[in-house]
Amino acid sequence: MRLYLELIRLSFQRTLTYRAATLAGLVTNLFFGLLRAAVMVALYNARPAGSSPDVAGISLQGAITFTGISQAVIAFLSLFSWFEVMNEIRSGDIGAELLRPFSFFGFWMARDAGRALSSLLLRGFTMVAAYALLFRITYPTGAVQWAALGIALALAWAVGFAWRFLVNLSAFWSTEARGIARFAFALALFLSGFVMPLRFFPAWFVALCNLTPFPAMVNTVIEVYLGVLQGPALAQALLVQAMWFVILAGLAHLAMRAGMRRLVIQGG
Amino acid sequence: MLYRLDLYRRLIGVQMRSQLQYRTAFLLDTLTTASQVVTAFLTLALILQRFDNVGGWKLPEVAFLYGMVEMAFGSMDMLFSGFDPDNFSLQVQRGLLDQLMLRPVDITLQVLGSEFIVRRIGRIAQGAAVFALGLALLPIQWTPLKLVYLPVVFASLVCFFGGLFIIGATITFWTVESIEAVNIFTYGGTEMMAYPMSIYPDWMRRFFTYIVPAIFLNYYPALYILGKPDPLGLPAFAPFLAPVAGFSVLLVAALFWQFGLRHYQSTGT
Repeated sequence: MRLYLELIRLSFQRTLTYRAATLAGLVTNLFFGLLRAAVMVALYNARPAGSSPDVAGISLQGAITFTGISQAVIAFLSLFSWFEVMNEIRSGDIGAELLRPFSFFGFWMARDAGRALSSLLLRGFTMVAAYALLFRITYPTGAVQWAALGIALALAWAVGFAWRFLVNLSAFWSTEARGIARFAFALALFLSGFVMPLRFFPAWFVALCNLTPFPAMVNTVIEVYLGVLQGPALAQALLVQAMWFVILAGLAHLAMRAGMRRLVIQGG
Repeated sequence: MLYRLDLYRRLIGVQMRSQLQYRTAFLLDTLTTASQVVTAFLTLALILQRFDNVGGWKLPEVAFLYGMVEMAFGSMDMLFSGFDPDNFSLQVQRGLLDQLMLRPVDITLQVLGSEFIVRRIGRIAQGAAVFALGLALLPIQWTPLKLVYLPVVFASLVCFFGGLFIIGATITFWTVESIEAVNIFTYGGTEMMAYPMSIYPDWMRRFFTYIVPAIFLNYYPALYILGKPDPLGLPAFAPFLAPVAGFSVLLVAALFWQFGLRHYQSTGT
């Protein structure tokens, strides 16, 4: 356990070091956030006069907050790309890693935890702060909702990590793993509720999304933050997240075992 | 001139042959870029079942904006990828540009021919599909002028984005690293221009009218071709400024590039 804590600390510090990159990423995320917020305002205002202020239980203020939160978790969840394990498999560095006396999955999970934590601090909180200056956004109310948000964020990261890890393992079988991963990331973005809250979509589409682990990565966090999930529904959403983590982590372990059998490291 | 064209054709030919060697990779990448365009548009289509329109623009009208800008950006990204700041900065870092400069051939031509990403065809095709869908669903009153102007708008957009790429590449002469802010104009610009520009806050819209003339490249031409009134009250010739805006951005970029080349000092590695 000490080892994993140390790994988390190291990778946390490593991410903190790249300040210029962090600032640049933040500015880009914010610009896209502003565009998305403007689209939200236009969508809400386009509805006929006299229609209810909320759409599917989300107010305009909530919808603007949604754009801020979803932009804030991009770096934390590494939503657009993550090829680290794949690069290691491809280069053969994985050979040295596997000789170490601890779990390969745990090693990467600890490293990713450090990266995610620092991203949450540097790119997540700052993003929400920038939004708070520019818009009137909503905040979770009460200790229960804050605690639930913390759990939802942690689980969203865990599900996301297991998924990214699993996708990266495709490098055991294919030299085109990068292409496969890009496709997987695009698919996840589409079905996760990142672009728009899933509640805005037709019921059949939401049902389709819910068959996949992707809503557990983004949409659950959003719904917990906005407070549209309460009581049993909230507990259920968190349980579903945990379930997806167990399933994906299990699959990742199976895939790893199968991959190891194929692995050939060239000497050098 | 003929010699240069022939040289360019050869440079590109090598690129195409090498990229098509890896068929699976090529197909997969094409599919992925294409699926991003399709999913983005599908999202909008599904959302508009609930909201009806964006800032007074219905789905086919947004398809017109979105398809046009995607097609143009994809084509630009294929033609000008040698200048893509993210790749070009690596060339500067590794000192590869010095190598090109030693050759007795025009440096601009070499950079232009140094990369040609064939798989962008996926993005272009999907953009074209969305655009065609928009056209099919819209009752546009076609006139000869509109028919002639449409390809001009497309070419202007390609020049505009190409100019931004060249400016971004030139900046790396001094910064060595690619500047993220450039991505705001290129990738952010495509996202922004995919929606009617009237929906954005005043300060943002003014910036993209008077400093970076993005508004004249897609939004105003679309107002004219679709026969929609101008809510912003610019002069009646505003829809016809696309070529002026597009070519002047490319011209400014070319001048800046020449200036940059004269002051290039290499990274010394």
